[in-house]
Amino acid sequence: MYRYDQIDQTLVNERVAQFRDQTRRFLAGELSEDEFRPLRLRNGLYIQRFAPMLRVSIPYGLLSTTQLRMLAHIARTYDRSYGHFTTRQNIQYNWPALERVPDILADLASVEMHAIQTSGNCIRNITADHLAGVAPDEIADPRPYCEIIRQWATLNPEFSYLPRKFKIAVTASPADRAAVEIHDVGVRIKHGPNAAIGFEILAGGGLGRTPILGKLIRSFLPQADLLAYLEAILRVYNRYGRRDNIHKARIKILVRTLGAEEFTRQVEQEFEASREFAPRLEAREVERMRGFFAPPPYQQLNDSIPEVGSVASGTPTFDAWLRYNTRRHKVAGYRIVFVSLKKHGEAPGDMSDGQMDALAQLADRVSFGMLRTTHDQNLVLADVPQSALPEVWRELDALGLATPNIGTLTDMICCPGLDFCSLANAGSIDVAKQIHARFDDLDYLYDLGPIEIKMSGCMNACGHHHIGHIGILGVDKHGKEWYQITIGGSSTGPAALGEVIGPSVPKDEVSDTIARLLEVYVRERRGDEERFVDAVRRIGIEPFQERVYETDHSPA
Amino acid sequence: MRRIIRRRELVADDARYAGEQAGPGTRLVPPAAQFISAVAAGATGTAGDAVLIGPTDEVEALVPHLALLKLIVVEFPKIGEGRGFSQARMLRQRYRYRGELRARGVLKRDQLFFLARCGFDSFDLDPAENLEAALGALDDFSVAYQDGSDAVVHVQRRASAT
Repeated sequence: MYRYDQIDQTLVNERVAQFRDQTRRFLAGELSEDEFRPLRLRNGLYIQRFAPMLRVSIPYGLLSTTQLRMLAHIARTYDRSYGHFTTRQNIQYNWPALERVPDILADLASVEMHAIQTSGNCIRNITADHLAGVAPDEIADPRPYCEIIRQWATLNPEFSYLPRKFKIAVTASPADRAAVEIHDVGVRIKHGPNAAIGFEILAGGGLGRTPILGKLIRSFLPQADLLAYLEAILRVYNRYGRRDNIHKARIKILVRTLGAEEFTRQVEQEFEASREFAPRLEAREVERMRGFFAPPPYQQLNDSIPEVGSVASGTPTFDAWLRYNTRRHKVAGYRIVFVSLKKHGEAPGDMSDGQMDALAQLADRVSFGMLRTTHDQNLVLADVPQSALPEVWRELDALGLATPNIGTLTDMICCPGLDFCSLANAGSIDVAKQIHARFDDLDYLYDLGPIEIKMSGCMNACGHHHIGHIGILGVDKHGKEWYQITIGGSSTGPAALGEVIGPSVPKDEVSDTIARLLEVYVRERRGDEERFVDAVRRIGIEPFQERVYETDHSPA
Repeated sequence: MRRIIRRRELVADDARYAGEQAGPGTRLVPPAAQFISAVAAGATGTAGDAVLIGPTDEVEALVPHLALLKLIVVEFPKIGEGRGFSQARMLRQRYRYRGELRARGVLKRDQLFFLARCGFDSFDLDPAENLEAALGALDDFSVAYQDGSDAVVHVQRRASAT
């Protein structure tokens, strides 16, 4: 992984000192709440319903065990002994005291971490494929480029007071596990002429109250121009993005208003005009960065999954776990292991300090001391020798981290909702629990195949409900919590925004409604291979609407 | 007496804006539209050598007149306003403006470092700001990842960086 040198370390240390002074001035009354807000937000600090919430950056989702232990220490020392992993690969703490935040930041800095630009109207954490470097289908490792973009974006003097937040995602795989189409800028690594590495650039995607998929604005950008082109996009946005209405300030509105063609023309013009001054990404800098992400010292092993299966014969849960919670690795003899944070009864994405410490110990032993966070609020041990799988399963199971549901209906993603967030209209965690309780039959879930439920407690869409195969949006109706259901959304292959099926439903009917949707799917599906979302695409939403809203409700 | 920070020193504010009276030692700073029409009217002598630009003014419109200008004041009327950062960077870098470049408005010491890195060399901050304390903010960071138009700050960058 990337390691700080004296420049990086000095920068985070000086940021801690700066934030400590800003907090002091606020507590001393030298800064008003209005003045302090943009300062604390750009350091990930929200004032929430019950307490401040601090969001810590995990660049492109990559974590060392030293860092995970520090996250456990912070949960234990400053919070209520847990943290919440987010859909943007970060972690949030829901209960820190404002006056202790500078100490938390100092602790983070000691392990090369920070909370810089995890909120506020600036360039946010750069996200990437959580299987970067180990996925068999990737063109190149996206992480060196992510780190290059991260450094360019960090405390960027020109682009620190943008009209609104700005999210950049990078993928190098056709499967696009980074969902680049729903980001302000999406970067797809691709091969150009003579197999040279370059990028396809998308702009203007985003969810929130106006969900839009990004538009292709450059089909091939040479590697050397990556930062120059990003600067051109950011400068056009900084100058012309709307600042009069917070709901129209994202770059997607600028792209939509100008039209993708005119927006592209302005970006290209700015790019040409700035060529002489803009940063040029030299090949040796890319090489230097690549050095940080060199493969770990893999052993020469043979694939031995069948053997592992036989070792585990008679333990059906292990077999299910192996099938659902692990993936093929590009190196023979290794396996990618998902750590499920979707246990029934727990809020999706939550993890205790004890789980973090134990998982760090396990990762040290079986996965080169590294972990990743995913967009789906799970963790990944990316480099596990196949021979260690039974042991890994046993330990994860003992920790409550082996629920064999990755990719199934109960692998839901979910924002903190009304329980913590001051923006939310409705709860999401208890709805997740309701769904877990209703669909507790694993065999039924496996029969249904891959299905993604994504849930947000308000239209800000932190739970990415628009791109859920089934999306659930909490709305407030006369002071009561109701839920609007969409179907047919997807983050990949191709990305699509879900369609609303009809009037929202009361809280206690959410899982019944899902059961009816699944009933229609099971009736209509063509073979085992057709996923729920494929069926919706094929037959449209009407059959689903009919069943959900038919007046004579036979029990679902 | 209004004071500003100019090149790391606290000095009396020499600028007077629309509705204010210019006296000895001060100069009028007209808004961009007024300055440009004065120049267009052939009144080079009376257009003066200073101009005030707001967030929606295009810096490109000033380019033909940069040789006349000794002071450009960029206004930041609201908390969080950020267009002035791009205006400054373009004036310094692309259009090679070498005169005084001043940031004015609802600005606190917390923005000083970024402003200086974009090429501002004088600062007319929020009247409530403690200017002596604010001076120190120019040294909030001693390192940076990006290239800058640094006139009044010095930062260390990585030798191998782009």
